[in-house]
Order: sequence, then C-alpha cells, then structure tokens
Amino acid sequence: MTVFLALLQRDVLVARRNAGPLLVATLTQPILVVLVFGNLLPRMQLVADEFRTVMLPGLMAITMMMAGVQGVLMPLVQDLSGGREVDERILTPIGVRGVALERIVAGALHAAVAGLIALPAMMLLMHQVSGMEVHPAWPALLPLAALCGLLSAAFGLTLGTHVQPRFSGLLFAVVLGPMMLFGCAYYPWAALAALGPVRYLFLLNPLTFMSEAMRLAVTPNVPHMPLGLLLGGLLGFLALFTILGARSFERRTIL
Amino acid sequence: MSLLVVDNLVKTYPGGRKSPPVEAVRGISFAVEKGELFGLLGPNGAGKSTTIGCINTLVRPTAGRILVDGVDITRAPPEAKRRIAVVPQTRNLDSDLTVREILTYHGRYFGLPAAEREARADRLLEELKVADKARAKPKTLSGGQQQRVMIARALMHDPQLVLLDEPTTGLDPQARRLLWDILRGLHQRGLTLILTTHYMEEADRLCQRLAIVDHGRILTLDTPAALKKTLPGAQVLDLWVRAPRPLAPQLRAIPGVQNLEHVEVEGDGDEHERLRLFVDPKDGLLDRVLHAVREGGADLHHVNLAQPSLEDVYIHLTGKELRE
Repeated sequence: MTVFLALLQRDVLVARRNAGPLLVATLTQPILVVLVFGNLLPRMQLVADEFRTVMLPGLMAITMMMAGVQGVLMPLVQDLSGGREVDERILTPIGVRGVALERIVAGALHAAVAGLIALPAMMLLMHQVSGMEVHPAWPALLPLAALCGLLSAAFGLTLGTHVQPRFSGLLFAVVLGPMMLFGCAYYPWAALAALGPVRYLFLLNPLTFMSEAMRLAVTPNVPHMPLGLLLGGLLGFLALFTILGARSFERRTIL
Repeated sequence: MSLLVVDNLVKTYPGGRKSPPVEAVRGISFAVEKGELFGLLGPNGAGKSTTIGCINTLVRPTAGRILVDGVDITRAPPEAKRRIAVVPQTRNLDSDLTVREILTYHGRYFGLPAAEREARADRLLEELKVADKARAKPKTLSGGQQQRVMIARALMHDPQLVLLDEPTTGLDPQARRLLWDILRGLHQRGLTLILTTHYMEEADRLCQRLAIVDHGRILTLDTPAALKKTLPGAQVLDLWVRAPRPLAPQLRAIPGVQNLEHVEVEGDGDEHERLRLFVDPKDGLLDRVLHAVREGGADLHHVNLAQPSLEDVYIHLTGKELRE
C-alpha cells in the first residue's frame, strides 16, 4: 500500500506541475461546445431550451471520459515506446498489477477533477440563458464522478495497452469520437425509447452510463436511467476494463 | 549459501505471425556469492540481457529457477525486488522529475522514511559525482551522468544485489573509466554486482569471475586469469594473410606452434584471412613462421604477437571475433 501511495503521490506531483496544459487539453473542447450549443444557439433560438439541460451532464461525462483516457494514455505511450520509464515502477515491490491499478486511480483523479471543474465553468457560460434546470446533488455527484473517473481511466488503460503507441492518435477518431456521439451525452436514455429495441445497442457504450450518471446527479429533473441499471453498467464496465487493462498491461511490460 | 542461484534458466520468446520463436536463453546455470563482482560477457544477442531480465523479474522465464538470497523470484517477486536493484541498458530516468526527486521518490517507493531518503539521496549524489545536477531534469544530463544517476537510484533502497546491463555501452572513454572506479568502489564496500558487457577490457579489469555467453549458453565460467590459462600456448600470434593455398599444414608443423585457428573476419571487404597461432616462444619461431608464409606464396598483411587476452579465449571458444 505504501508503494501504491508513493506512486500516486509522484503522479499527483507531476500532474500539478503540468496542470495548465492538462486542463487546457481537457476543458477546451467541452467549454467551446457549451459556448456554441448552450449559449449562442439558444440565443439565436435555433435549439430548444431543454437541450442545454440535457447536454450539460453529457458534456461533463465526455470531459471526464476524455480526461480519464488521456490521463492514462499519455504516460502509457511514453512507457511502452522505447523509453521504458515504466520499468522503474514495475521493479518496485508492488507488482505489475499494482502498477496498473495505480495508473487507473491516477487517471481517475485527473478525470474527476476535470469533470468537477467543467461543471461550474459550463454553468457560468450558460447562466445568462433562462430555463436551466441544473441542481447538482453533491452527495450523489461525488461518488458517481469518482466511479466515472475510474471507469474512464480503466478504459484508457485497456485502449492504450491494446493499441500500438503510434496508433494512439487514431483512437480519438475511430473509438472515442463515435463513443461521444452514441453515448447519450446529447440526448437522454429515456428519449431513446423512440428508437425501439435499437436503443439497447447504446448500452454497449460505457459513456451511456456515465452520461446518465451525471444526469442523475446534476439534473435530477430530467428523466434518467434507473439507479440499479446505472450502477450495474458503471461497475460492470469498470470491472471488465480493469481486468482487460491490467492483463494486457502485464503482457506489454513483462516479456 | 550463494546470494544468487540461476538454475537451468530457459527463455524462449514466442514468435509472431511473421517471426519464428527466439530461444534467447537455452539452459543457463550459475551461482554468484555474496560480495562478488560477476560478469556476463558475450556478443550482442547472446542472451545476457535476457538473463539479467529474468533475474530482475522483467522477463518471465520459460523454465528454470532463480533464487535471490533464497527467495524464488518467480514465486515471490515483491520480496525478491527489495533485494535487487537494476541499472538497465536503456536510460529510463523519470523525465518528469529532477535528479534529486528521482532518488527521493525511488526511496519512497521502497518505503524509506523521509529523513533517511533525503540524507541518502544527498550522500549518493555526492558519491556518484552528480550533486551539481540535483535540480536538473535528466534529459539535460550527459550519458555518463545519467548512468551515474541510475546507479545512485539503484542504491537508494540498499539492495543486496545490483544488476548492471551493459553499464558502459555508449560512454566516452573518460566516463567509462570513472564508472569503473565507481563500480570497484561499490564492490570494495561489499556489494554484490553482476554486470553484462561486450567489452573484453572491461570484463578483464573488473570482474572476479566471468561467464562467457553465446547463443543462449554459457561457454565457460571462471576467473579471467584462469580462462586465459585454458589457451593452448603461452602467446598468441595473429597473421593476416592473403594466401593462394592453405598455409595451415606447414604452420602447424613448426615446433612451438601448439594450435592454429581460422578466425572469421566479418565484413572487412578485403580478402585477408586471419590465422591465429597459439605458440610457446622459441628461438627462431617467428622466422620459421614467416618462412612458411613466404613458401606458401602468401601475401602477409599484418602480424601481431601478444599475451593472450580474454578476446583470445572468446575467439578460441567461438571461432569468431567479438565485434564491439
């Protein structure tokens, strides 16, 4: 455990030093989206007022997913491509799987912080527009944000260890981009009833559960997924990606 | 009991779709005693680094057993890792930390109390002559300095066994000599060191015992002096010749010539062949050899008479030059 905390301390120190660029990298996109879809378009009356309320938790989920994936992927690319800085960590008395879990927790911290900074920033941008239904329920928000952070980071570890480092740019185009569009970020799960059984395909996307979790915590008045399904999805995907990620991390690092 | 026991170690890297499996280590056994400076000498691809990797747990052995201080490393890696320190071949200093932080965080990873890790970091920075770089990022350091920081890092958790994988490869002669002095100093303080190298001189000067490794096997293992004594003659006479017909029969017949070997000369471009004669010095020996060469109609390009070196042992064992 001391090894785990020491590794985490090192990662937090480094993240604090790089806080500026890290935040710019993870917050620029959601803030610009909010500016256009949450502020400009409603004022032009091109989108309905409800859209902002629906979109805000979805954008939080996207922000967390991107931050979590990046928080794991960036150091991983450095680790697995030639430099082998990761070897020092693996040679500590914690074991490879411990190193993998630490990476997930560090990425989750990054994701949760990004999500929790994004929320007030986005609220601020939209506050001139009437009809917002944002009422963060903090006791639900904090544990759900932590869970979403862990899931994003575990997903990042799975992606990063299954893909050659030189293709990591492609991930954003081929995997993360479609996930964002089909992850209930811009529409609630409840509204997908209109699609019939096709809507169950959306449950294959972990972002669906993250978006709905944020909806539950931030805009409780918007209809959202039942808590049981929500937690089942988040925990199920977390377990799946933790196992897949840790396993392939071990395969990639121990020859 | 030996500090390190490597027992019939085998490592086969599985092949891919386009590549066949690679048998990097094919049954290596040796033991290293406490306080010893032990060397693995061999050409690139001989299996040295894989052997070191198996000992430090970064490579999973296919078969065999490795005990460090009685701890089986495949069964109990965390306990084994506390006893081992690694100075890897690739420079892998944490690029986000300063030199001093690299040491203190390494101490943290191994659970050293704050006061101890701070004090030890300062002492090691001083000892390894990198104290002036304490606040620098590793990328700004020279190769030799980075190497010394890696050694300081390895010593932070007070290991029993330090594994150094080609510690001087790529260093300039001055940095190499400084590193030799440092390694000797550590050895004198009672630390057990295992190093791999493909530099004959390094192996000869530093190591108490030496395993010569090629194609995943240990060809021979002994002290450098004893290894040199295994050669057939007291001196080695090298001839680089271009000969229209074989010279060996005439040369072998000369009294004092104990043995003759053809040495592969890789990629020299010209057609000289290298003949290596193990000789006992006798009056007129050199005359007779030169006479035989001339009689054979050969063109003599270069001659060298020397005391046997480890390189001669290596050539004697493998029939190849060791390319550095």
